[in-house]
Amino acid sequence: MTIALKGLRVVDISGTISTEYCSKLFSDYGAEVINLEPSSGFKTRQIPPFFSGSKVSAMHAYLNTNKLSVLKENLTEVELLDLITEADLVLSNGEENKLLSACAGVVSDISWYGKGGDYENFVGTDAQCFALNGMLGGLGSVEGPPIIPSGYQAQVVGGMAAFVGSLGQVLGVELGNCKKPVQIETSIFEASLCFTEVGAVTFFNTGLEGKRLGVNRFPPTYPLGVFPCKEGWIGLTVLTPSQWHAFCKLLDMEYFARVPKYQTALGRLKDINTIEPVIKNQLLNFSAEELFYKGQEAAIPLARVPTMEELLEVDQFIERQAFTTAILPDKRNLKVPSVPFRLFKTPPSFGGYVADLGENTEVFNK
Amino acid sequence: MNQNSPLKGIRIIDLCMGWAGPLAARNLADMGADVIKVESCENFDWWRSWEATPEWIEEDGAEKSAAFNTTNRNNRNITLDLSHPEGRDLLLKLVGTANAVMENYSGSVLPKLKLGYEIFKEVKEDVILLSMPAFGSTGPWKMFRAYGSTVEQSSGLPHINGISSDPPMMHHVAYGDPVGGLNGVSALLVALRHQAKTGEGQFIDLSQAESLFPLGAHGILEFTANSTPPLRSGNRSSLFAPHGVYPCVGEDKWIVIQILEEGQWLKFQEIVGAPIKKFGDLKDRLSKLDELDKTISVWTSSQEAQKLMYVLQEARIPAASTQNVSSLLNDPHLNSRNFWQWLDRAIVGNQPNPSAPFYVNEKRLKIKTPAPTLGQHNEEVLTDILGLKQNDLDRLKDIGIIGTKPRMKIIKK
Repeated sequence: MTIALKGLRVVDISGTISTEYCSKLFSDYGAEVINLEPSSGFKTRQIPPFFSGSKVSAMHAYLNTNKLSVLKENLTEVELLDLITEADLVLSNGEENKLLSACAGVVSDISWYGKGGDYENFVGTDAQCFALNGMLGGLGSVEGPPIIPSGYQAQVVGGMAAFVGSLGQVLGVELGNCKKPVQIETSIFEASLCFTEVGAVTFFNTGLEGKRLGVNRFPPTYPLGVFPCKEGWIGLTVLTPSQWHAFCKLLDMEYFARVPKYQTALGRLKDINTIEPVIKNQLLNFSAEELFYKGQEAAIPLARVPTMEELLEVDQFIERQAFTTAILPDKRNLKVPSVPFRLFKTPPSFGGYVADLGENTEVFNK
Repeated sequence: MNQNSPLKGIRIIDLCMGWAGPLAARNLADMGADVIKVESCENFDWWRSWEATPEWIEEDGAEKSAAFNTTNRNNRNITLDLSHPEGRDLLLKLVGTANAVMENYSGSVLPKLKLGYEIFKEVKEDVILLSMPAFGSTGPWKMFRAYGSTVEQSSGLPHINGISSDPPMMHHVAYGDPVGGLNGVSALLVALRHQAKTGEGQFIDLSQAESLFPLGAHGILEFTANSTPPLRSGNRSSLFAPHGVYPCVGEDKWIVIQILEEGQWLKFQEIVGAPIKKFGDLKDRLSKLDELDKTISVWTSSQEAQKLMYVLQEARIPAASTQNVSSLLNDPHLNSRNFWQWLDRAIVGNQPNPSAPFYVNEKRLKIKTPAPTLGQHNEEVLTDILGLKQNDLDRLKDIGIIGTKPRMKIIKK
């Protein structure tokens, strides 16, 4: 039984990836989460990936285990207001909604760009956030175009940031540090700056800015990237002098370890055209799995880079129950990621049922 | 009452280094928690430098790391040599006053220091310990080492990004770090709520690699729902067209354009005019992607990226120009929302600090203090909280347990 957030009621009135990821963390830890949906359902019911040959969204299933689905149109005005008034937290996408004024707890808006500012009325997407936060420009081949990160990554990060702000205020109210009602406003774009804010401050101090050097090249660190092995792909990050020495030994290229200018990551990067062909050639003597374990044994942070299929078979992730099962209304099972953090005394839900549209409406009819 | 300090009265002992753990701590400090970061003069936070030299120490290099300074604001900083029994004892006494301890060492470090949850619990029954090693605290990889890049590589994300003709594509030099940090603060907030309700502490196990799975969920689910591996199709979409990044006037200037609805396409046709009139509905466009992208690229090549972004957005067409990291401090949107807060910091002077990504009651959380210098709060913390006297501090300094300057490690044979 998940109890850490027991007793909290969270109502999502908008149903975006960000609001649903935020509320998923609440439901995973025992809060009652209610999706207040229009008769057409939240838009996340119509986003890919879908189950093959159907319009059933696997993404929606992942985001909505252990939540209740209530049809807004099937509640009376009084029932609707009671639902909102009794909520500890109401999540919305930031659009005007008269329901929000009824909330006596925490109202948490998650929008692309927040209220105010030049981009306030922009139509937002994940790709735009990465374009404007400075990350996209560094991805892809030198000649371009830059390559957009796939999926909904900025929206998920926005949901995480909103969870922090929202639960922080819920806790603040319970501790007596804050008073209700409280308004939280999260910008997905600003949340995505978590990846590049350090780079911006570094530029302010040094005037140095890395240009796009090609796929998997991130100055000043070298070697870093994903490289082919005899079998599979290995992820390299060799940063410190001791890691470089151990890496050279592992790949049987100890002559590189003694070169003075290769003792720093930047020195190695400057001579990439000499070093990289040798590294690539030596990596082909190993399978990625073999190299990964040997590297870790030598205190070098190497990684196997699994495909989606391989990811589900990684012993580390299997043993930790990193994937679990969402159960759809038609009884189909879907393997989905588990919550990434585990409280030992109050463990999270692992997987769970995904409510059909409006399935729980009657619970709130008085 | 202060909405800016919901976590007032909560004390966190932060043993973290690098980016992920300190970012989690920063979020807690931003919300008013008393975060006390513990480093030592020899084992200082490696984000100050992983290539320390005597010259670097002499020139106050430890205080000049923008990465460290950006991530450690609003906290207090002390030094304790935890490998010395007295340093360890002082840490345990401090833990005795705290709600939670957080650490992101590799798995072998705490046991070597004879520290861990059971030991912390002996001095504070209801303490929380957040442990956030790269792969979690259980499983065959629990002792393995990783950086944020290793975490991204291990998460499978590279296999759902980029173009199929390239190697699997990484996003960032340390993509796993900030995501691990956001998960870390989330985990602690959940545990602090349980602690406040019940008086119970607990151990929290966070895997930074698993923290990236939600960001790759679309790829994982593509496989688990359909047993087919997701395609790495770069900037193209199987559902929308045009959908890409197009060149603009100037060196390395680009604009993202994504037409997600037919109404947007009609407006886009109006703006671009004749060159794209020959393309029809979505089905037609998806069948002519090469020609469509080429035609749009020719048109955008004569456009100024940022100006075009505003023109397209005015017509409700999703578009954004690519910015460099160097332009973020001048971004008009961020500046009008006061995203950067400027604070004077010892050694490096006036510095920009990124705000928390959320407003509370229409206000930014105010950043109260910049990142402290190494050991800046030794005296304040050790006397005010632990009741040590000046002669105790002098002695601890003499034997190297505390200090305010890094030292090169002495390799013991």
